[in-house]
Amino acid sequence: MFKKIDLKNKTALVTGAGKGLGKACAIALAEAGAKVIIISRTLSDLIKVEKLIKKTKGSCLKFECDITDIDKFKIILKKIKRLDILVNNAGNNRPEHFTQVKKENMEYLVELNMKAAFNVAQMCSQKMVELKSRKKVGGSIINMSSQLGRVGAPIRSVYNMTKFGVEGLTRGMALELGKYNIRVNSMCPTFVETPMVKNFFKNKKFKQQVLENIPLGRVAQENDVSTAVAFLAADSSSSITGTSFMVDGGWTAK
Amino acid sequence: MVKFLRDINLKNKTALITGATKGIGRSTAIAMHQVGASIIAIGRNTKDLLSLKKRLKNRIKCIECDVNDYEKISKIIKNLNRIDVLVNNAGTNLPEPFLKVKKSSLETLLNTNTKAAFNIAKLCTDKMLKLKNRKKFGGSIIHTSSMFGLVAGPNRTVYSMTKFGLEGLTKGMAVDLAKSNIRVNSVCPTFVATPRAKKYLANKDFNKYALSNIPLGRIATESDVATAITYLASDAASMITGTNIIIDGGWTAK
Repeated sequence: MFKKIDLKNKTALVTGAGKGLGKACAIALAEAGAKVIIISRTLSDLIKVEKLIKKTKGSCLKFECDITDIDKFKIILKKIKRLDILVNNAGNNRPEHFTQVKKENMEYLVELNMKAAFNVAQMCSQKMVELKSRKKVGGSIINMSSQLGRVGAPIRSVYNMTKFGVEGLTRGMALELGKYNIRVNSMCPTFVETPMVKNFFKNKKFKQQVLENIPLGRVAQENDVSTAVAFLAADSSSSITGTSFMVDGGWTAK
Repeated sequence: MVKFLRDINLKNKTALITGATKGIGRSTAIAMHQVGASIIAIGRNTKDLLSLKKRLKNRIKCIECDVNDYEKISKIIKNLNRIDVLVNNAGTNLPEPFLKVKKSSLETLLNTNTKAAFNIAKLCTDKMLKLKNRKKFGGSIIHTSSMFGLVAGPNRTVYSMTKFGLEGLTKGMAVDLAKSNIRVNSVCPTFVATPRAKKYLANKDFNKYALSNIPLGRIATESDVATAITYLASDAASMITGTNIIIDGGWTAK
């Protein structure tokens, strides 16, 4: 039997939901029937995403928060009744040659991509475990990683370090949360046509190098990734945990 | 408006499924039929094929054939109008300790799991490429691999050898066929509640070994695997190639 992607009666929290992949995931989860809680640093972005979610007839709660601010995030979680799905998405990248990496950039990426991702995952898991029927209902956490969580790339040493870290976190969490029926997977896209990547692609040479490395010869679209995230969030994937879900057009197959 | 949640459907697609009489193959035929595919089911057992045909109210083409019969299977594939999806599923296992592996067991597994899988993949790819607008239309091949295509288990040297081989074949094919927009992936399930696995799991020690190695504490269902295969077959997965979906409840995350 085919198990349709259906998130009715589920509440999902998405960080970094103001733009790009986070925004796409938030809308996809709403399209699948979930109540969505969107978090971003930028209120004006949240308002736009909220409008798009309302258009899908989905319900949405928005909170302006920088996820490196743990105390603020904790207060937000207290306002939420329940949580079934986390898309741990907020992250950033500051490409620099290894020998030139600025200390402040390294620290910024470690703080955001690793420390904040860990804290958000831990606090949300605590919230998820509170539900008495969790074992029956199940839960799903998707950590936003990257193909660069699996392979190296030029001027990405810090990004590589943080995303390989997210891969390790995913596996560790999956082992410990399995007994609560909370599944944990990572999402590893190739370059996706997001505002951040469009900016990188202003460099024509870089764009050409990227396309040469993707056997399918094209970058991913936001909905390639958001559909896969919805699949991992739903009971469609109820035996999938502790894995990396590659949406990379064959980049890492080489 | 762009949908962020893509529909998983196989309308206007023809899928060939080997080993379709039982277990994962049979469930995949049912799942794909549910989302609109035309199905060609290949299997050795007439009675099982008839039962599948009855289950799908005759709206399925069943052909009796042993995948090891190269002449017969190549004639069957050549005579088909078109193939858009291949579920290269037929496979077997004869668990024996490494030092006791019989020459005949080794040959059986290499013949079915490796050679026949390769031959059918090649024959079906030839057929797929006959369609003039293949590049626009896309194609998808899914190999039924196993978590033992990624890690070892006791008494499974030969099985692991053949399934690790399928993982390699998947990546090689993905790289070679990307330019034709044919995607190639594998699914790697843990023990699934199939007729074959149920026999193994009837043994108490084996049951304990299996469940204690699965962080989610349960084996997978045929539907879990059939759903992942159906997703990979559909255009909803159009950026996914050269990878595997691991449906193992966390077995390989350890």
